[in-house]
Amino acid sequence: MCRKDTERTMRLLTERQLEAFLRSAETDYDVRVPVALRDGTRTLGRLDDGRLALAGGAIPAKMTNVFFPQMDRLLTAGPDGPDIPKPVLRPLLVVGFTAQDAECLEFIDRFYAENYRDDVYFNRRDGAVIVCVSGRCGPQGRFLEIAGGKCDMEFICDGQSYLVLGYSPVGKALTEKLAARQPAGTATLTELQKESDSLAREDSRLLQAASRLLLEEKVPEEFWRSVSDRCIACTSCNLVCPTCTCFDVFDRVVDGKVQRWRTWDSCQLDGFMREASGHNPMGLEHQRTRRRIHHKLAADPKRWGQLTCMLCGRCDDACPTGIGVKAVCREMVSKYGSV
Amino acid sequence: MKRVLTTCPYCGIGCMFYLLVDGDGILVGVEPSTQHVVSKGQLCVKGWNAHHFVNHPDRLTLPMIRRNGQLESTCWDEALDLVATRLKEIQAANGSDSVAFFSSAKTTNEENYLMMKLARAVFKTNNVDHCARLCHSSTVIGLAAAFGSGAMTNSISCVEQADCYLVTGSNTTEQHPLIGSRIINNVVNNGARLIVADNRKIRLSRLADIHVRWKNGTDVAFLNSVMNVIIAEGLEDTEFVRDRTENYEQLKRTVADYPPERAAEICGITPREIVQVSRIFAAAERAMIVYAMGITQHTHGVDNVKTCANLAMLTGNIGRPGTGVNPLRGQNNVQGACDMGALPDVYSGYQKVAEPAIRAKFKKAWAVKYLPDGAGHAVTTAIDAAAEGRLKALYIMGENPMMSDPDQNHVRKAIERLEFVVVQDIFPTPTTRYADIILPAGSYAEKDGTFTSTERRVQRVRKAIEPVGQSRSDWQILCDVAVKCGYGGMKYSSPEDVMDEIAALTPIYGGISYDRIDRVGLQWPCPDKNHSGTAVMHAGKFARGLGMFSPARYRPSAELPDSRYPFLLSTGRCYFHFHTGTMTRRSRLLDREEPFPFVEVNPADAAELRIQNRNWVYVATRRAEVKAMAHVTDVVGKGVLFMPFHFEEGPANLLTNNALDPVAKIPEYKVCAAKIRSAP
Repeated sequence: MCRKDTERTMRLLTERQLEAFLRSAETDYDVRVPVALRDGTRTLGRLDDGRLALAGGAIPAKMTNVFFPQMDRLLTAGPDGPDIPKPVLRPLLVVGFTAQDAECLEFIDRFYAENYRDDVYFNRRDGAVIVCVSGRCGPQGRFLEIAGGKCDMEFICDGQSYLVLGYSPVGKALTEKLAARQPAGTATLTELQKESDSLAREDSRLLQAASRLLLEEKVPEEFWRSVSDRCIACTSCNLVCPTCTCFDVFDRVVDGKVQRWRTWDSCQLDGFMREASGHNPMGLEHQRTRRRIHHKLAADPKRWGQLTCMLCGRCDDACPTGIGVKAVCREMVSKYGSV
Repeated sequence: MKRVLTTCPYCGIGCMFYLLVDGDGILVGVEPSTQHVVSKGQLCVKGWNAHHFVNHPDRLTLPMIRRNGQLESTCWDEALDLVATRLKEIQAANGSDSVAFFSSAKTTNEENYLMMKLARAVFKTNNVDHCARLCHSSTVIGLAAAFGSGAMTNSISCVEQADCYLVTGSNTTEQHPLIGSRIINNVVNNGARLIVADNRKIRLSRLADIHVRWKNGTDVAFLNSVMNVIIAEGLEDTEFVRDRTENYEQLKRTVADYPPERAAEICGITPREIVQVSRIFAAAERAMIVYAMGITQHTHGVDNVKTCANLAMLTGNIGRPGTGVNPLRGQNNVQGACDMGALPDVYSGYQKVAEPAIRAKFKKAWAVKYLPDGAGHAVTTAIDAAAEGRLKALYIMGENPMMSDPDQNHVRKAIERLEFVVVQDIFPTPTTRYADIILPAGSYAEKDGTFTSTERRVQRVRKAIEPVGQSRSDWQILCDVAVKCGYGGMKYSSPEDVMDEIAALTPIYGGISYDRIDRVGLQWPCPDKNHSGTAVMHAGKFARGLGMFSPARYRPSAELPDSRYPFLLSTGRCYFHFHTGTMTRRSRLLDREEPFPFVEVNPADAAELRIQNRNWVYVATRRAEVKAMAHVTDVVGKGVLFMPFHFEEGPANLLTNNALDPVAKIPEYKVCAAKIRSAP
């Protein structure tokens, strides 16, 4: 990205001004933003669903569910033939991705585009504007990494207001609509970028080390048994993971028509891999526990050329027994390797 | 997408989540509340799938009436007319107590209150009960006798503060996952000690300091012996015993008869295990007893509960954070259904029907001249009465006794003998097949109200979608029946109105109102509007004053293995299904996980009988024979079989024994004699 180009379209807005901007964008877009619900839980919703809550870091539900929701209708078939969902009429504008979320999205875009293009996913994804939120607005005052060109637009918090940057053509066009606002000082962006660049990368090094251990097959079965002893098969790790893409399909007959739905699935369930005969190549708990980590850190690098855990932290927060990816990698590396 | 904050409809933990509703008014997912005191952004597998059954095409959507032996759809007016007319006719011919009402631990507090009000104020009978009879009636009675209150003494947050657990008869990670997870975390991260006393090799046993695999049903002998050792070694809390309890001398005398050598023989364990457990438990600063159905569902269930209470008092582990006797309630609102007086001997708040002053209070509030004073039938004795022709009609709301009650053939004969059966439910069940009238009810997602969790926390349930088809909320149906009966005292504009009446009449709920529990529920006792609720009960003083040691002697289970039926059959739930499967078997991922009725068989037994994993087998008891898939696993000990009761096509309760605890009338689901053979 050309810095001069970015600076030309950069603006500085308060959260209130941002909200007004997002409301105005609702004319052309189906706008989704982080909101605080009735009890304070942050989620991705419409502006009227709750108080705008940009600060606080990654929202607990995965951002990618806006394109790949927990349950989604694939088609409805009646006597007159199938009715297949069509691309959304008003494109989505989704605010609240972290830098890691943007990386996750980039991966599942690849995943769903390759070989069997997932039309239901791209019905919503095509034309969607992705807006990251970063800077001095993380949980407990932590700094959120600046995403840069991984998204269309970015809101970077300087502690009080938000620098608004457009990256893609659509992002720039939207930012330029804010021309009446006071342009931001470039010194602030430089300062924030420096702060972002200096963020500790310990977790990333940990993940790389864990990946190496798995690729070199240095982690014994006994380790996975000890982790799986603590797994209560809640499936949260999969259901909150932005790079988990597995789903199951089921039908419902309603008013004489067949509705075909898909629903998020989980590789932590015995039924996920069980064959019709009853045989299950992943029939033991520790095999499934291993798969969850191994898939992201060893299988995917071979298949896609990248780790597919972006360290968003959601599985560590959602796991009732503290065996999310980061926790398991920490334990694995402390036992069998070094960072 | 609309998001509605509500309480999970499965176990009693009371996790809160947001239901996700799409533009067509269909539930399409859940998101856990990150702010809720228990869920904290986490859920178990059933919670994550709690939306799924609601819009299942099997939902009952129209009232139905049996005509010429066939169930036919009808309009609400006709159905309600017939309910009122027939019940009144039957009472006129056979007396008030010829009719019984089964309330429901799945419905809200408001609905349970209205069911018991309908039974008592309109139909003048105390024949009202619900499935707590089948799960924790022994707790309600046993703990009330020992402490003066029959509920979990502590809070879920206390689980994180214990430094020792005795988990007995509770498969906590499967049946109360977010309590089980707290135990795991505290054991793994903080080194809390864990004693698991359970015949099954449950997940927690893998992390336990000691896992005692006693013979099912020998709980009293084991716990008495633990107390024997504690007293013999001077490990009791003498100050607590002196200042806070009574009847200690009798306890001492009773447990003196259970030295480890004798108890070990009864329990099928070693004396050393008993001594180890005693020392670990007594050494803890904050020791917590966690139990569930493995303690309660016995012919000596009340004795088991009292014995747990004795151990807690003997070691001073009550009335403080991180301690207590903590029965885990198995259903979303089984605590609330009890609190609301859907029990045959008490009104809401455990106020006794036998006390004239209490009756006078309710007569005045409900504007009726008469209320019955004798205890009514329990769920179990009502079925017996029906089988004997003493009970003529049954109004069942949200229960499925054909699947949930012991000895299904006995239940079927009893229900077939009834003159009139009303079933109010959300799905067709084996029980609706015997209904004369089916009233289609709304699910938890279609109504407002409250559930009370296992930690006595009264929490909001909120309407997320419109009622499916012509179904109506249970509270509306019950009020409509009352109106049809000519009673004017059950007209409410909303469930909130009902809660205001409950609060006015129920001291422990005195401070509960919807505005106070909008974000976070309150824990009873909450006697007034300024009270912030009670996290830990019996601090400083027991609800009954002094804690009462209630020693019990070991009594063998009613039906033990013999040469004809050499296996001990125990029944219960599995992780992925809930009770009679009405909801979970209509939830795609949950049913995929366990699609077949199954029986757990120990590998050594399986080898002897040439049974292989996932082979079909027949399990038989003196009552019947059931086909199920063998799960060959060391989760069960040698000589023991375990079957969950979720499966209509392989119902475990065809096999179980209708032997009851003499006081609580709870059936002995955990022990009966069985045999097993390969299915040809």
